[in-house]
Amino acid sequence: MTDWLLFPYFALPAGLCWFVGAGFAFKTNGFRRAIFFTALGLCLFCVFMVGLWISLERPPMRTMGETRLWYSFFLPAAGLVTYISRRFKWILSFTALLSFVFVCINLFKPEIHDKTLMPALQSPWFAPHVIVYMLAYATLGAATIAAVYLLVGKKKRTTDEETISLCDSLTYVGTAFMTVGMLFGALWAKEAWGHYWSWDPKETWAAATWTAYLIYIHFRKSQPKRRSTAALILVGSFLLLQICWYGVNYLPSARGRSVHVYGQ
Amino acid sequence: MWILPWGYREGWTICTGLTLTGLAMQNFVGEFDVAAMPYPVNVAACAILAVVAVTVHALSRKYVVFRWFSSPQASITALAFVLFMSVIEGLGVATINSWAFTLVFAYLLLVLAAVVMRRLRKPKLKRDAGFVFSHAGLLLALVAASLGSGDLQRLRMTVARDAAEWRAANERNELVELPLAIELKSFDIDEYPPELMLIDNETGETLPRGKPTNVLIEACPTVLSLSDWEIEVVRYLPAAASVMTKDTAFFTEFLSEGATSALFAKARHKTTGVSSEGWVSCGNHVFPYRSLRLSDDESLIMPPRKPKRFASEVRVYSKEGESRESVIEVNRPLKYEGWKIYQLSYDESRGKWSHTSVFELVRDPWLPAVYAGIFMMLVGAIFLFLSSTENQTYNKKNKE
Ligand code: HEM
Repeated sequence: MTDWLLFPYFALPAGLCWFVGAGFAFKTNGFRRAIFFTALGLCLFCVFMVGLWISLERPPMRTMGETRLWYSFFLPAAGLVTYISRRFKWILSFTALLSFVFVCINLFKPEIHDKTLMPALQSPWFAPHVIVYMLAYATLGAATIAAVYLLVGKKKRTTDEETISLCDSLTYVGTAFMTVGMLFGALWAKEAWGHYWSWDPKETWAAATWTAYLIYIHFRKSQPKRRSTAALILVGSFLLLQICWYGVNYLPSARGRSVHVYGQ
Repeated sequence: MWILPWGYREGWTICTGLTLTGLAMQNFVGEFDVAAMPYPVNVAACAILAVVAVTVHALSRKYVVFRWFSSPQASITALAFVLFMSVIEGLGVATINSWAFTLVFAYLLLVLAAVVMRRLRKPKLKRDAGFVFSHAGLLLALVAASLGSGDLQRLRMTVARDAAEWRAANERNELVELPLAIELKSFDIDEYPPELMLIDNETGETLPRGKPTNVLIEACPTVLSLSDWEIEVVRYLPAAASVMTKDTAFFTEFLSEGATSALFAKARHKTTGVSSEGWVSCGNHVFPYRSLRLSDDESLIMPPRKPKRFASEVRVYSKEGESRESVIEVNRPLKYEGWKIYQLSYDESRGKWSHTSVFELVRDPWLPAVYAGIFMMLVGAIFLFLSSTENQTYNKKNKE
């Protein structure tokens, strides 16, 4: 618990590193330094997460604040991988910014960081399920950034082609993670609640989100020229994802009905 | 519309038609109930689906119309309708058990089957492996999960300590006799350490309002901080009984059945310095709970202890008279005679001293097929992950 008090001392320097790294990405010959600073930030953040895990004596994945932690970590990580493989100058700034938004939410609106974990959550499936989902959310978040860039940026055929191809790659990776996360969830539900799928509100929104990304993938394959429509589908899918992730906590239809909404 | 080759418009129209048909059927025959489709009805439905799919596939060689059913346009429109209906379900309007959803879903399965068969006409291992794992896996999982739910049995069995039980209640609360029996030898709960929190004296609300905070008492003696109060825990009795005297109550050690937990705390307000001390206990079905009044507005309480783990030691008997001893706990179900037995609950009013244990018994003969489908989809997801680099159509070196 005391570890959350240390959060600013890790998160703020990490955020600074990410922004410095993002800045170097725009410089000629800044490639290596951009990678170095982003990775340094990730290391700092990682140290905090490991420390928190140890002090809580359980994986820090239960409260919304804890899952935001994973998101803040995976987003620059996804940005870094994209930057290294594709050399998009702007991707690091966006992932750094979005990640920092989540850091700020944790700084200014910390929720109770309860140590207890209900028995159903004490399962070996728990950690892989949540980690894979957070990886998916982060990758798909990066894909959305690229889609918005395509929608609002100047229209130019060659660069648009590159951007949407980046969307494709990120969505493939994100959907792959999401598929694994969802299926792990099903296998775990079977062990914990007796059935692998029960159309619980959270599960329903997860199914809707997954279907939306499938539509994007198939639409891209069959209508490769309609880039803006595809980008819109991607943005819409990401909105569904928000409902699935935390929106259900606020939906009146899900209150008290979902076993996956952990009331506090 | 309806001019060959078909496109999106025909897809939207077909799905809308199915939805309207479903709504009409809902009116005339009532809610669709998959539980009313046990073996052999579900196997027959599966066979019909297969025959229709194979027919569509066979005819698609000769007629362009049938080729449409394995097209991306058909897939995307069907997926969009499933998406739309799950969003409605997610908003709280029951949709999944409606005829409309059932028809659209069956149609989606048909399209998916046609897609898979078309790709398999001239299979190429390297090109098609990922595709087949994803699509055939999804098809298998969806067919087995939806039709299999007609054979799914989920029963709830309450067993008292030292007694054997062979009947369980189904969803309609009817008692069903089972080919197995469970005898409860003992029931155990490990609890988390006690917690302390503040409540409003007037309303009983937990404080601070909206985002209540609690502290876990992991050691004793200890000093902690809770909102504006500094709290010193002086004594902790994990097994305690309350003793009433004429004008007060205190707690004493009590090492037998029915004991509750209590602790003695001294609280001091950080700014005003107001202080008070006394016993705090969560109470149980034997002893009343006790709070410590800190000020006119606030009291210190111990919320009910949270279970960390609960487990039943059981002996299970088969109809043939064989038996076996085992421990059943949350996340560790027991497999026996084709059933999976889950620890579900206990007598929560007695908590730690519960004399009964509640199990859920599940039988799902189609589960292996669902798992096979899930496994194929997992492999498919790996292919999807790896194929993410394939659509890089440009030269990386040209960047920077
Ligand atoms: C597990 C979920 C699914 C995943 C991950 C997935 C992924 C993919 C991918 C990556 C492709 C491109 C394959 C390639 O070009 O080699 C594809 C093609 C296709 N998918 Fe899916 N898909 C899924 C579910 C579905 C569903 C539910 C349908 C239809 C109901 C469908 C219909 C199609 C069709 C029609 C094609 C084009 C087929 C072809 O070119 O032969 N897919 N899918």
